[in-house]
Amino acid sequence: MKIKFKIKRYNPAEGEPAEPYFQAYTLDVEEGMSVLDALLKIADEQDTTLSFRRSCRSSICGSCAVNINGFARLSCATQVMPEYAKMGDMVIEPLSNHVPLKDLIVDFNPFWSRIEKVAPYLTPTSRRARRRGDVPARENDGARVTARDEEAIDKSQRCIMCGCCNSECNALEIDDRYIGPAALAKAWRLVGDVREGNSRKRLERLSEEHGMWNCVRCVHCTQYCPKSVSPLKQIESLRSRAMKEGVLDNPGAKHVEAMADSVKRVGRLDEAAMTFRTLGFLRSLGMIPFGLKMERHGKMPKPLLFPQIENIAEVRDIYEEAERLEKEDRERKKG
Amino acid sequence: MALLRYAYYPGCASHEITKEANETTIVVAARLGIELVDMPKANCCGAGLLTDYDYPLSLALNARIFAEAESLGLDIMTICSTCLMVMNTANRDLRNSPELLEKTNAILARTGLRYGGNVKIKQLLWVLAGDYGIGNLKKQVVKPLNWIKAAPFYGCHSLRPSDALGFDDPMKPWSLEAVIEALGAESVDFKGKTKCCGFQIDLVDEETAAKMTATRLLDGKGKGANCFVTPCPFCHINLDNYQSLAEKAASKKISMPIFHLAQLVGLALGLSSGEMKLSRHLVSPEKIIK
Repeated sequence: MKIKFKIKRYNPAEGEPAEPYFQAYTLDVEEGMSVLDALLKIADEQDTTLSFRRSCRSSICGSCAVNINGFARLSCATQVMPEYAKMGDMVIEPLSNHVPLKDLIVDFNPFWSRIEKVAPYLTPTSRRARRRGDVPARENDGARVTARDEEAIDKSQRCIMCGCCNSECNALEIDDRYIGPAALAKAWRLVGDVREGNSRKRLERLSEEHGMWNCVRCVHCTQYCPKSVSPLKQIESLRSRAMKEGVLDNPGAKHVEAMADSVKRVGRLDEAAMTFRTLGFLRSLGMIPFGLKMERHGKMPKPLLFPQIENIAEVRDIYEEAERLEKEDRERKKG
Repeated sequence: MALLRYAYYPGCASHEITKEANETTIVVAARLGIELVDMPKANCCGAGLLTDYDYPLSLALNARIFAEAESLGLDIMTICSTCLMVMNTANRDLRNSPELLEKTNAILARTGLRYGGNVKIKQLLWVLAGDYGIGNLKKQVVKPLNWIKAAPFYGCHSLRPSDALGFDDPMKPWSLEAVIEALGAESVDFKGKTKCCGFQIDLVDEETAAKMTATRLLDGKGKGANCFVTPCPFCHINLDNYQSLAEKAASKKISMPIFHLAQLVGLALGLSSGEMKLSRHLVSPEKIIK
C-alpha cells in the first residue's frame, strides 16, 4: 500500500526557504512498519537530506520523538498502518514548544536547562549535619530504601527524556518561562526519595513563579507520555508534599488550602471566599470593577447565600478520619 | 427507548456562577425525556485541587458522592468536564485496586457509608451522543440551527486521561461535532478544540490564563466560527466571563458568543433564548439567534 507522508522541512542554511514548509513523499508501507522505519526508508531511498534524530528503535533512548498527526509520539513506537487507518493522514512535524534546528531535529538545550533547574541529583543529608542536629532526623535517614519507599517514585524514574510531555504541555505553549512537566516529574523523583535531605528547600524553589503551581492540569503530558510516567501525577505528589510540609506562601498553595476549607465548611466550592483567600486583600480589591461587570449578569458569586449540602457532618468526619488514619499509618511506619 | 435516569451532579460552578448551565440542562433533559434525580447530599469533587491537597481524602470524598448514587441505583450525570475527569480518575483508581477501595471505605466507615465500586460517571455530552443517541436527538430537532457555525470546544477534562474517561478519543474526538451537526449547525474544526482554556491558573497566573483563553478564541474565530459551544462550565467562565481579559491580553476585539452545550440543544428543540437564559452571558449570543 502506498501512502503519502507530509513532512515539515526546515534548513537554516543560506539559499533555503526562511520558513518551514511541508514536503510530501509517497512510500510503500506494510503491516508492522513504524513511523521511524518509514522515515529511514524515505531518507534511504528518496531524500538523503531529510534530518531526524534516532538511535535505539525500541523506546529506550528517547531521541526519536516527533509530532505525528498533531500529537507528540516516539516515531519508533508508532505503527504506520493503525495510525493511518485511524487518522486518515500522515503528517510528521518536529516537537511543539521546541525550536527546530533542521527538519525534524529540535534544539534540546532549553529542555536540558529546565531539567538542570531542579538539580537532578540526590542531595542526601550529610552525616555531619545530622550529628549536629541541623536537620531533623528523617524517618529513614538514607539507610535503607524499602519497596514501599521506591513505589512512591517508581513512575518518575521511567522517564527517558524524550520531550513528548513538554511538547504537549499547554502551559509551556503560552508561557515559555514555565518549568514544564519533564523537569517536574524529575523533581518528584528527588523530593519523594526518602534519602533526599533538601526536600523542603526544593519545594520552596518549585513554588516560585513559573514553577509547579503553573501547571494547568490539561493532562496532555500524562496522555501522551510513551513511558507512562504520568507527569501530572508527579506534579500532584509535589503539591501534596508542599501542602504537608507547610510551603504555603504562594497563590497556588493558598488556592488549594482555600478549597480544602471551603469543602469542609459547606461541602462545596465557595468561589468568593476562594478568590479572596488566593489573591489576598489588595489584589481582590482590584477585582471589584470586574466583579461589578459580572454582577450585571448575575455572575458575581455571593458567599453569604451559599447553601450547605445535606449531611455536611459526614464530610467533616471524612476529613478527620483521613487525617487520623494517615497519622496512624505514619506512626506504624516509624515504629 | 428505555427510560434514561441519572443521579444528577451539576457541579459547584453550575450551582452558582454558571447556574444557567444547570437550569437549562434541567429544561432540556425534561424535553428529551431524560430523568434527572437530585443528589442533595453530594459534596464537591475537589476539582483537582483536593487531589493536590491530599489524595486519600480526595478519594474518600469522591467515594461519598459515588455511594449516594449507588444507593439510588443510578449512574451519575454531570455537566462539568472537570467533575467528570476528577470523578472518573478517582473511580478508575478505586476500581483498579481492591486494596485502595478498602482503605477508602475505612475512611468512610465512621459515616456509615460504603462504596461498592459499581457507579459509572457520565456527562451530558456523553449521554446525548451515547445513551440517548445522535439519531434520536436529530428526531427531536424542530428548529435546525443552520446559520450557526459552532467551534466545538472540548477543553481538557472531557477527553483526558482517556484510560479513566474512555468515551471519546482525545486524538480524534467526535461526540461534540456529532451533537452540533445533529442540531443542524455546522461544526468548525480548529486545533485548539481539545486544549486548555486556562481556568486552572486564573488565580495563580492571570497573564498566562488570559493569553491562553485568547489563543483558543482567536483560533476558533480564525477558522470562521460564529460561536463556541462547550460541555464545561469552567471553560465557559474563561471563554465568556473573562473574554474581556483575553481581549486585553491579545489587544484584539474578539466578541465571540459562548454556548453551554444544553443551551444550543435547547434552541434547536425550539426553546426560546429566554428559556435558555442567554442574557446571563457577558458576551451576548442574542445577535446570532434567529
